[in-house]
Amino acid sequence: MIRRPWYRRKTSPASCREVGRVLQSYLDNDMDPEWAARVAEHLEACKHCGLEEATYREIKASLSRQKSSVNEDAVARLREFGRSLTDG
Amino acid sequence: MSDPVIDEREQKAAFDRYVVPEIDVLYRVARSITRNATDAEDLVQDTMLRAYRAIGRFDGRHPRAWLLTIMRNAQINRVRRKRPELMRDPDATMDRVASEDEDDADPEAQVLDRGYDAAIESALDALPEKFRTVVELVDVQALSYQEAAGILDVPTGTIMSRLHRARTRIRKHLEQHGGYVNGRPA
Repeated sequence: MIRRPWYRRKTSPASCREVGRVLQSYLDNDMDPEWAARVAEHLEACKHCGLEEATYREIKASLSRQKSSVNEDAVARLREFGRSLTDG
Repeated sequence: MSDPVIDEREQKAAFDRYVVPEIDVLYRVARSITRNATDAEDLVQDTMLRAYRAIGRFDGRHPRAWLLTIMRNAQINRVRRKRPELMRDPDATMDRVASEDEDDADPEAQVLDRGYDAAIESALDALPEKFRTVVELVDVQALSYQEAAGILDVPTGTIMSRLHRARTRIRKHLEQHGGYVNGRPA
């Protein structure tokens, strides 16, 4: 029998402590949908946890913007290298 | 194990189908791994060449994961060759085709974002390498936990643990050096 993670065995409403333990996985959409819904419900009602969520969402959003600096010239050269492999 | 017979035309077609669409992602991952533009380009070329030679053995499933494994092995060899005493995690990954952020913010918000982004970049640079690499793979390049675990050859739980600790460090760095508390200027 597969042992379910602790948070999937819970049936009571999520507490601040529980949400704190799974918040990062929740932000990464790496969570059982049923449990995610309960976390979302808690975040709606709890100002402290909601602020935590907003803070980390801002950090994640900013990090996702960091990738704009990729060198397009380098990628173009690599595509040309790929063509040289298949044309040769 | 002998290679399946594959003619040159099939080899080229498979390369165009499975490898070429991933070049952009491979380069981004290589930048995360090598932290050097020239090394990154060399690593991707090495990866492409190995992939071209091995494409006859590829079953067509999960090309990105397959390419990342090739890249990981190529990087291991390169590091061993250059600095055998400094063997480290060949962090890398690729970029799921994340949709670009919608550019719908007003000018004031964009200026605020730029200041915040600069502070985030500084916090990212201040992270120890093993944390920074995971953040770059998952948060910057949008790889899944599983993809990041594959390229770094560590368990998924390790990725999660490093990622979560790294984000906490970033937050503390913002508070201590960037003047941001809870994501806003203090």
